[in-house]
Amino acid sequence: MIALLFVFGVRPTSAAAPSRLAGELDAAGFREVVAREKGHVVLVNFWATWCVPCREEFPSLSRLQERNRAAGLRVVGVSTDFEKQRKAVERFLAERRPPFPNYHRKKGGDDQDFIEAVDSSWGGELPFSVLYDRSGRKVRVFSGKLPIASAEREIRKLLASP
Amino acid sequence: MRLFRSILVLAGLCTLSVAAIAEAPAIGAAAPDFQLTTIDGKSFSLSTEAKSHKAVVVMFISTQCPYSNAYNDRMRDMASAYASKGVLLVGINSNKTEDASTALSHAKAHGHSFPIMKDTGNKVADLYDAQHTPTVYVIDSQGKVRYEGRIDENYEDPAGVTSPDLKNALDALLAGKPVARTVTKAFGCSIKRV
Repeated sequence: MIALLFVFGVRPTSAAAPSRLAGELDAAGFREVVAREKGHVVLVNFWATWCVPCREEFPSLSRLQERNRAAGLRVVGVSTDFEKQRKAVERFLAERRPPFPNYHRKKGGDDQDFIEAVDSSWGGELPFSVLYDRSGRKVRVFSGKLPIASAEREIRKLLASP
Repeated sequence: MRLFRSILVLAGLCTLSVAAIAEAPAIGAAAPDFQLTTIDGKSFSLSTEAKSHKAVVVMFISTQCPYSNAYNDRMRDMASAYASKGVLLVGINSNKTEDASTALSHAKAHGHSFPIMKDTGNKVADLYDAQHTPTVYVIDSQGKVRYEGRIDENYEDPAGVTSPDLKNALDALLAGKPVARTVTKAFGCSIKRV
């Protein structure tokens, strides 16, 4: 499995605890992470330490995950901070200890490939979230802060579906 | 000094005269014209500058966006390298969260000697349907849009760039050849509109 993750550009750390980075993602790695969660409803949130609204919404994402974990929600965070900001990302995660895994966008590669893997409408603005149903089908994207109440209603509808 | 700075700020907060075009310009279509005052107090007219240059590169930029700032040196170097070839690079700051004074300080700090304008009310950004910083548009001497999108594919690592899209577009234009890739997807921060 670990070998497979390397093939797809996901580089897991030895201890992928929520307070640490779970690995690095390129376009293929991103698709692999989403595919791995098939069977769950998945909310991927793109953020950066320099992004104020991202930092502001982080606690609500943690609460969202905690409230809906048993029903099958999996929140996944992806930091788009630059490589030189990696220590800041690690500090942020160590402080916040989110109850969901967080990856770091892998340095290099073509931006357009990564955009297409996430959503063709995305232009890099943050925060940006993508919601997938249990079959791995993309259901919705959210540009800007997640409207938590309406998003949770939609998530619960998806969770109620087989 | 304070008076001088105030004058510069006021100059940056200039009036804007634009044609009433509501949709984004297509490749080959006429670039929406605009007149602004640069952050150091000079008049700027896109149509006038296009006529007197082989190309004008309109760049929507930011002082705060890390993606835009990642290109500061590349913008400076390209402006310098292409000036002698008849290409003018200009910066447009449309973010409501950044004022002309900040833009001026930022330009000085990063050696940006090309014209930079404050787009108060994001009217020029609206004309071009620009959504992110950085996004660039190449305008030829006929005032037509020849390229729009990103500067290159690698914001984080200038040494690792493999697809210098803006440079490729300019080189093709200067060589009298068709631009091979006329549109790319710009990746950056959202323009903070009013």
